[in-house]
Amino acid sequence: MNRRDKNILKLSTLKQNIAMKHLFKYLIFLLVLMTTSAYAQKIVNVKGTVVEKSNNLGLPGVNILSGTPLKSVGSTGGDGSFSINVPENASLVFTYIGFNNQTIKLNGKNVLRVLMQESNNDLKTVVVVGYAPKTKEVATGALTTISGKALQDVPVANVMELLQGKVAGLNIQNNTGSPGARGSIFVRGLSSIEVQGSGNDAFLTPTSPLFVIDGVPLDANTNYEYGFSQGGPGISPLSLIPPEDIEEVTVLKDAQATSLYGSQGAYGVILITTKRGKSKTPIIQYVTSFFVNTPPKLKQVIGGKGERDLRLWQIMNYDTTVYSARQRIDNNPLLSDSLNAFYNNSTDWQNVFYRTTLNQNHNVNASGGDERFNYKVNLGYYDERGIVENTGLKRYSLGMNVLYQPNEKFRLFANVSSALGMSQKGSGNGILQSGVASGSSASSLLPAPSLFSSSGAATGVLIVDNNNKSGNIKTNLEARYQVLKPVSVTSVINYDYNTGTEDTFKPSILNNNSSNVYSYNDRRSTLYNRNMISYAQTFNAVHNVNAYVFNEMYIRNYQAQAVSQVRTPNDQYQGPLGFNAATSRGGVLSSYADSRSAALATQLSYNYDRKYVLDLSYRWDGVSSSGPDVPWSKNPSIGLKWNFNRESWFKNAKWLDYGSLRTTWGKNIVPNGTVFDAFGSYNFSGVYNGSQSIGVGFGNLPNTTLTPTVTTQYNAGLDVGLFEGKYQFTFDTYYKMVDNQIREKTLADHNGFGAVKTNEVSLVNYGYELSLTVRPLAKTSKVNWTVSANGAINKDVLTSLPDRVRQILLDGGATGQAILYRLGVNSLSNVLYNTKGVYASTDAVAVDPATGKRYQTTNGGSTVFFQGGDPYWTDLNGDYKLDGKDLVIAGNSQPMITGGVSSFFSYKNYSVNVNMSYTLRRDILNVPLAERFQNFSNPGGANSLVPIEELQYWKSAGDVALYPNPYDYLRYSAYSPFRYNQTLFQEDGSYLKLNTLTLAYTFDKKFAERLGITSMRVYCTGNNLYTFTNYSGPDPENVSDLGRDNSSGYPSRRSYSLGLNIQF
Amino acid sequence: MNLVTKIMINKKNIIISTIPLMMLLGLLGACKKFLPTDRDTFNTQARFTQTIYKPVMGRTTVMGDNFDSQSSSLPLTFKIVNIRNSDGLSAPELIKPFDVLVWKKAYFGTEKSIAEIEAKRVIEKHPLFEIREHSGEFIMWAASNSSIIKALPDSGYTFDVEVTNNGGRRYFNNMQLQPYRERKYEPNSLDPTTGAGTNAAIRPNVINNMKGEITSSNLSSNDVNVYFNRIGDGNSITFRFLDTLSRPIDPAKFKLTDWPNLVHGFNMEKTSTYVKYDVAYPIPLVEIPTAYTTQDGRQARVKFSYDRLGFGGVKEVAEMSFNFSIYEKGAWEIVFWFNRDNPKFSNE
Repeated sequence: MNRRDKNILKLSTLKQNIAMKHLFKYLIFLLVLMTTSAYAQKIVNVKGTVVEKSNNLGLPGVNILSGTPLKSVGSTGGDGSFSINVPENASLVFTYIGFNNQTIKLNGKNVLRVLMQESNNDLKTVVVVGYAPKTKEVATGALTTISGKALQDVPVANVMELLQGKVAGLNIQNNTGSPGARGSIFVRGLSSIEVQGSGNDAFLTPTSPLFVIDGVPLDANTNYEYGFSQGGPGISPLSLIPPEDIEEVTVLKDAQATSLYGSQGAYGVILITTKRGKSKTPIIQYVTSFFVNTPPKLKQVIGGKGERDLRLWQIMNYDTTVYSARQRIDNNPLLSDSLNAFYNNSTDWQNVFYRTTLNQNHNVNASGGDERFNYKVNLGYYDERGIVENTGLKRYSLGMNVLYQPNEKFRLFANVSSALGMSQKGSGNGILQSGVASGSSASSLLPAPSLFSSSGAATGVLIVDNNNKSGNIKTNLEARYQVLKPVSVTSVINYDYNTGTEDTFKPSILNNNSSNVYSYNDRRSTLYNRNMISYAQTFNAVHNVNAYVFNEMYIRNYQAQAVSQVRTPNDQYQGPLGFNAATSRGGVLSSYADSRSAALATQLSYNYDRKYVLDLSYRWDGVSSSGPDVPWSKNPSIGLKWNFNRESWFKNAKWLDYGSLRTTWGKNIVPNGTVFDAFGSYNFSGVYNGSQSIGVGFGNLPNTTLTPTVTTQYNAGLDVGLFEGKYQFTFDTYYKMVDNQIREKTLADHNGFGAVKTNEVSLVNYGYELSLTVRPLAKTSKVNWTVSANGAINKDVLTSLPDRVRQILLDGGATGQAILYRLGVNSLSNVLYNTKGVYASTDAVAVDPATGKRYQTTNGGSTVFFQGGDPYWTDLNGDYKLDGKDLVIAGNSQPMITGGVSSFFSYKNYSVNVNMSYTLRRDILNVPLAERFQNFSNPGGANSLVPIEELQYWKSAGDVALYPNPYDYLRYSAYSPFRYNQTLFQEDGSYLKLNTLTLAYTFDKKFAERLGITSMRVYCTGNNLYTFTNYSGPDPENVSDLGRDNSSGYPSRRSYSLGLNIQF
Repeated sequence: MNLVTKIMINKKNIIISTIPLMMLLGLLGACKKFLPTDRDTFNTQARFTQTIYKPVMGRTTVMGDNFDSQSSSLPLTFKIVNIRNSDGLSAPELIKPFDVLVWKKAYFGTEKSIAEIEAKRVIEKHPLFEIREHSGEFIMWAASNSSIIKALPDSGYTFDVEVTNNGGRRYFNNMQLQPYRERKYEPNSLDPTTGAGTNAAIRPNVINNMKGEITSSNLSSNDVNVYFNRIGDGNSITFRFLDTLSRPIDPAKFKLTDWPNLVHGFNMEKTSTYVKYDVAYPIPLVEIPTAYTTQDGRQARVKFSYDRLGFGGVKEVAEMSFNFSIYEKGAWEIVFWFNRDNPKFSNE
């Protein structure tokens, strides 16, 4: 700590020295000015402040120019104030990157208040595409930039949550509320059809885009496979980035934009830039917020006597005879022994597990400097306790960067950022909280959890000792040297190191008398290096050429170990000695990896007077997981752009700010599989002659032609800005092929090998994206109002499956929710029984004309004939028997339309910011509703009962109902009326969500100054406020990527926060 | 003036922005044709697991669970084509529709009259041998008989089945139908292939606690012969009991028998020599468990029972039960002949 403080001090003194130097320069300049022009003009001292129009905060580092030609006469300080000496009646020009220039004629005034408005001209924004900065005007690819300002004011662990609905074509579903976990992120639709698990627990293999944080690539998919298929702390690496430190986020969507991120970029690229120092006087900004997380509306349950009465009523009415009913009741003390204190309860189980928490977030940012030297230090602390007991996330982060550019020729940029995340997962695994799910749905008749009650699993949630840590350190050094005027050499090296540990202790008292110590640790490192030679030249003032060549390499290592010790001596002595050696396990997990990739890439950009733009790039990528026969993949791209507003016909068109038409084509890859899939493996193969031997691993046949997944994308877009920023419009259409997806094929047993992985799966996404920004009020208005809306339509079509088959059915597991891959239609279809209604009476059931039997079904053992109150499922093959042959293809688990709406409104010191997002046309399997009915399948069970009175279910003969009779529990197992895999529970999961609402107030400068601070702003924010939907389940967003509403998922919290932003 | 220019600008603006938009949309439309069509899977490995069908004529038989679709897209469409007899000539008798009795409403076993039962089924025209369009199950209707259709030991008929979905088509050639001639009731002692009677006797299924009148030994099922007689047309079933000398035994002696619910019949006529009911055929009407059938519902079950005081004053409940089916409509008579000793009804 101390040392860092000293560093900061050192930095600021250095900074002051520089400032002094500048001061000297200005003094000399002023002296010269005075001596030369004192006779001509009177010099006046002008004071004032420059503030940002949207939030009334002082803008530091604004450059002030005056004279002809324009010369710098000063710049604003940390609070936006300035004091300059200029000739009387001079004209002052205030410039600042990202803002419109403001020109003010003095006309005798000497105290100014300058309002700077953010530039609405999108095209002037500088973006870094493919490692080289360029203005958006000459970028041919499809990209969207979100300012970091839009990501402040809402305390969240994972910043991606805030990008939801902000970028057309970036579909973010915050489908878990687990602190530190991340939702799913799709850029332009589906990129993989691989599914892990089955039925309700099926998860789509995540295909998140590549994140590049200050130039350090971070693959969010590797370390974090839902915290599900592997152990580990379950903290997404994205959760280790403090949102306050983010300057801007750029989303690159098409193949041209991502082309130079080649060996990883096929799923899209998201660039995150953290803040830099830009004020000559150092600025210290402190942001804090306190927030309350509340659980969503919990389900209602029937409690105590009501529950017991309902169970008794059901048994008495639906058992075969009154004798059998009485016997059933008598044999079940839960029902018959109502005076027993153990069963005489009305426990609110959900209250045991769900809680409202108070949390806090602190962030200090110190920065300063100018173009020659600037620095930033960001220190963050974030503490969120989950709404489920025994879960939560704490994050400590420290990030800093320094840019040093002593002269035009040399530039050095370095950054180091480190973060530590600590989480508790409770009894779940980060995504699923099955312990809580089963615990919170226990019967209300059972006593509240204690070690001596029968609800051991439930107690486990509360007293399992779980502690996880995830640490990350990123270092990056970038040096550039300009050899000649047009030629420069850049070298980048960075190292990213992650380590995760998990320690869990399950005491024996609740784990079947067998305590369990689980200790896990992993480490992952990525070393990255890039060396680039670039050339930039302008000929005849109109021909702009920019070309570069670079090589790139990655070295990645990953290894995880786990120790699981069973039966420690007692619950207090938790090892390391005395465990049961026969049942304990430990060692390196088989997920270890050591991979390399190398690439050579080149790009040529040419534009004619920024009117016609051509981008060409080519990239050779070698990855170690490619088969030895095809080590290199070649990825070309081309982009064309026409800025038609620069044509002579629009010369006088004041209404057209900009207009461009662009089209691109290109290829990208993402490595998949492991080196063993391509090269095979040697494994321990048994003992031969008394010694252990190593032989060929016969599990997987090596595929020497294995290649990475390739996406080939066409994109065409149109950007138009009208009436000086009043209307801005971007339209994109794309056609994206995702080929060579890896899939395992089992081999016939005579091949010797068990399976082989091949690249035979392909799919296509195509769609449209539209973004629209409107500033309805006049520029001169005191009210600043911006409304943005965007939407994307995406359709995916499966185009190829292994062995040229046309369809593959994935088993539905325990819940029967099967998935069908079928060529020519959407890639992931649900396969379900088609529920056409409920039989009003037994007469309505179809009869087999040949045998005279009613429509029937069997569960293998017993056969039941359908009767009144049973569901009417389509008999697809007309055999009067309901079985697997009657399943129909129904529904698409992938959303078709996604997007968002946001509005920013400010007036004087007040501002209101609203963000909404929507998802339309998506099918969800409503498992919670099915379970709600299934609760009645066993009236003697000890599960909770949720009231179903408001649902239209069948009660007596003749009822036309939506849901079948839930009470007929004796026949239940034979025909499962509330089976999960039926269209009755497939619902439309469209929703419109009010993501965030922020009200902010900026204190008057005078008031702030009285407190000794530059500026002060308070705000309150509501997050995840309300979801408008017709979906009858709990939350249409909190469902898996495959549209399964897993009731053991972690619910999304609602949060209310109060924040303060102070700048010194 | 100002207003006019503004409007013009707007119009121009619309045109300018729509032209490229249309171009972009068109581009995408062109790409769509490269996508595969949405077509069903038809796996040519799909097959019938049974290729020779040997139903018994005279009763409706559904022969299912006979097709392995090998993950082809369902439903498939099945069609019998080119049905021919053993000489290779076409077989019009299997193409021509006949009157068959089909069920329209569910039979429960609780119907109160024959009319109520008959109202649940109607006569329709069907070929006697059919395949269900989407399930591939074969049906031999009850109206089939050996006077129309060649029965075993004739080598029967050969036919092909066309199986299609919109992804493919396959013909399964030379499937065979070799029906057995009708056996009007079960159990019987007929040779299934030739239809000739054998001398094997039909026995009741269970006899319990029945003592012989003369020998005082326990009677077993071997001591009773059962005879089915079709005594004419009609809609009735009659039960008779004969002693060793073929003299009638009064049914009333089986005093514990639940006579009104013996069979699903109506208008019971009980005399000292027989019990007769009006019934609907076949028996059982539908193979579902009812009060009149075995537990699995496949056959009708009749149970005759009485009690007496046995040796030492112990109450002995004697019973005889018999499971049977009758497929042809008519006035049927079932006779139980005690061939060794008569049952002892009197107390010890």
